[in-house]
Amino acid sequence: MITVNNVTKTYGKIVALNNVSFNFNDSSVIAIMGENGAGKSTLLKICTGILSFDQGHVTVDDFDIVKDSIKAREQIGYLPEMPDMYERLTGREFLFYIASLRKLENAENRIDEITKMIGINDFLDYEIGTYSKGMKQKISVTSAIMHNPKNLLLDEPVYGLDPLTSRALQDYIKKRKGTTVIATHSTQLVEQVADIVYLIMKGRVILSDKVSTLVLKYGSMEEAYFQTKDEGNV
Amino acid sequence: MFETTKIVLKDNSRSLFKKIKDAPILYLMLIGMILFSIVIFSFAAFFLINIETNLDISLEDVFFTIFFIFLLKTVADFYNNFTKSQLVTYSLSTQVSQKKTAFEIFFAVLLTELVIWFSFSFMFLFSLSAFGIDVNYPFEYILFTLAVITASCIGCAISINFFSPKKYRLLPMLILLGFYFYIGNPIFVVLTLPIAIIHCTWSINNSMESYLYNKRKERTKDRSFIKIRSIIQAQFHRETTVLWRDKLLFSFVLSSVTTGLFSGYLFLYGDEILIPESLRETLGGFLPSMFLFLGVYVVVMYTAVFPALNLFLNEEKTMWIIRHMPIKNDTVVYGKVSALALCFLTSIPFIFYISIFTGFDRLVFLLWFLVFSYIAGIIISVPLGVKYVGKKSDILLLYSVSMILFLVLGLMISFINIIEKFFGNPIIFYLLILFFEIFILYISLKLSSQILTLKYSSTDNNS
Repeated sequence: MITVNNVTKTYGKIVALNNVSFNFNDSSVIAIMGENGAGKSTLLKICTGILSFDQGHVTVDDFDIVKDSIKAREQIGYLPEMPDMYERLTGREFLFYIASLRKLENAENRIDEITKMIGINDFLDYEIGTYSKGMKQKISVTSAIMHNPKNLLLDEPVYGLDPLTSRALQDYIKKRKGTTVIATHSTQLVEQVADIVYLIMKGRVILSDKVSTLVLKYGSMEEAYFQTKDEGNV
Repeated sequence: MFETTKIVLKDNSRSLFKKIKDAPILYLMLIGMILFSIVIFSFAAFFLINIETNLDISLEDVFFTIFFIFLLKTVADFYNNFTKSQLVTYSLSTQVSQKKTAFEIFFAVLLTELVIWFSFSFMFLFSLSAFGIDVNYPFEYILFTLAVITASCIGCAISINFFSPKKYRLLPMLILLGFYFYIGNPIFVVLTLPIAIIHCTWSINNSMESYLYNKRKERTKDRSFIKIRSIIQAQFHRETTVLWRDKLLFSFVLSSVTTGLFSGYLFLYGDEILIPESLRETLGGFLPSMFLFLGVYVVVMYTAVFPALNLFLNEEKTMWIIRHMPIKNDTVVYGKVSALALCFLTSIPFIFYISIFTGFDRLVFLLWFLVFSYIAGIIISVPLGVKYVGKKSDILLLYSVSMILFLVLGLMISFINIIEKFFGNPIIFYLLILFFEIFILYISLKLSSQILTLKYSSTDNNS
C-alpha cells in the first residue's frame, strides 16, 4: 500500500506536482495517465525515494519514505521510463548484482523463471551496451519483479516490448498480488489491466475513477481520456 | 563524396566550440597556457643556444616524442570516432560501402592530426623566429610531417586490431614499432610509410569485425564469476569488472611502469639533461627529489584520482539503480571505494621500477609517500565526485582536484623534510601521519554519503 499525502514537487519555477494525494491500496492495479510533463514519472520517482519533494508525506506499507527509506524501499519494485543500466555488465551480471543488493535468496531460479517468461534468457550473456531498447526494457522488468515486491511501480512498462512479451507482462500484472502502479500513455493497457485510473494535468489530479465505470460511461478508455481531459482543460 | 568525413569533422568541431561556449574562462586559460608554453619552449631554445650549452637533446628525441604522441592520439581518436561511436551507426546503415565509411573516418582523423601538427609547429616556428633563431630546415620539417602521417596510419591499424577478436593482427605493427625503437633513425620511420599505409588499408578492410565485436560481445566465460555476493562485495565486483573490461587496469599498470622508468631515469640523469653544465652546481640537487615527487603525483593522479572521481561522476543516468535499492548510502560509498584497493595494486609497479634507478634504500619512504598520496587522492576526489554526479568529463573539476592534491602533497613533503631534520628517519611519524590520514578518510567518506543523501527542503515531511 502506498499513501501520498499533499505532496508538492517543484523544479525551479515549474510545479511538477501540486499538493497531490493518492491512496494506492493493496491488490489493485492503478494507472496514472496524463500528458507529457504532467508529473507521472515524478510521482513514481518520489514514491521510490529516488527524488526528493518539497512538501507532504509518502509512506510505503506504513514506512515513511524519508525516515524509514530502507524499509520502504524493500517493499518496492521499480521500472523507470528510460532504464539506463551498466553497459559493460552482461544482463546476467546486472541481475545478480541487483539480487545481491536486495539480498535475494534463490536468485538463480527466480531470474531463470522470469527471463524465460519475458523471452530474454538467450541474451543474458551479452553486454547490456549491445542490447536493443526492448531487450534493456526486459532486463529492467526482470530486475523490478524478481524479488516479488509488495508494491510494483512501472513507468511505461510495455514501451519497446514485442507483442508476445507485452502480453506476458500484462498477464503477470493481472495475476500478481499487492499494489501495482502504472504510469502510461497507453489507454489500451489501462483498459486491459487497471482497476482504477488517475488522470493528472499540470501536477494536479483531475480525475480518479474505476476503469470499468469509465468504460461503461464513455465506451472506451481512449474516449474517456479525451473527454475528461477536455473537461479538465475547461 | 567524403560525406562521413565532413560529418565527423563538423561534429567534432561543433562539440569543441560548444565546450568553449560552456566554459569560456577555462578554455581561455587553456589557450593561454598553450601559447605560453610555446613561447617558453622557444625562449628556452634561445637561452640554451646563446649560452652554448652541451644540452643532451637530439633531433631523434624530439622526432620520436612527436611520433609517439600522434600515434597514441590516433589510436584514441579512431576508437572514439569509429569503434565506440554511436553516430557512425547511421553512416554504416546506408548503401555506401562500410569499408569506405571506415576509410572516411580514418581520413577525418588523419586530417585532424595534420591540422594539429601544422598549427602547433607553425606557431612554434614563428615563435622561434621571433627570438631570432634560424628555422630554415625544410627537409627536417617534411620528415616530421611524414612521421605524423606514418604515426596516424599505424595508430589507426593498432586501434582497429586492438579491439578486434583477432588480436594477433597487431603483431606486424608492434614488430615495426620495435624496429623503430631499435634503429632509432627518423629516416627509417619515414621510409616505412608505405608498409604502414598497406597495413592500415588492410586493417580498415577488416574494421567491421572490430566494430561488431565491440558492439555485440558475448561473455559466456565470465559466467562462473556470477553469484550472489554481500552488498559491498557486489559493488566491488561491479566496479572492478568495468575497470577490467574498459582495459583501465591494464593502462594503469602500464602507466605506473613507464612513469617509474621515466622518473627514475630523470632522477639519475635529470641534472645532465635539463640543466646546463654551467648552472648545474647552483641549480642541481633539488631536481632528483622533484622527479620522485612528480612521479608519485602522476601515478596517484591516474590510479587514484581518475577512478575515484569516476566512481560517482559516471553514474549520471544509472543513479536510479542505487537510489531505489534498500541500502544505506554509507554502504554504497564503502562498496565503491573498496574497488580502489585494486587500483592501488596497479600503482605498486611504479615503486619497483623507480627503485631500479634510485636504489632500494629509499623504498620505505617511497612506499609510505605513495600510500599517503593515494589516500589523499581518495579523500579529495570522492566527495567532489559525489557532489558533481553526471559531470563526466568536467576538466575544471579534474583541474581543481589536481591542484588541491598538488598543494597537499607539497605541504606534506615540506613537513616531512622539517621532521627529518630533527628526528632522522622518523618511521613512527610516518605511521602516525597514516593513522591520522585514515581518520580523515573516514570523515571524507562519511561526508560523501551525507552528500549522496537526498535533500528534503521542507521540514513538513520530516515532522
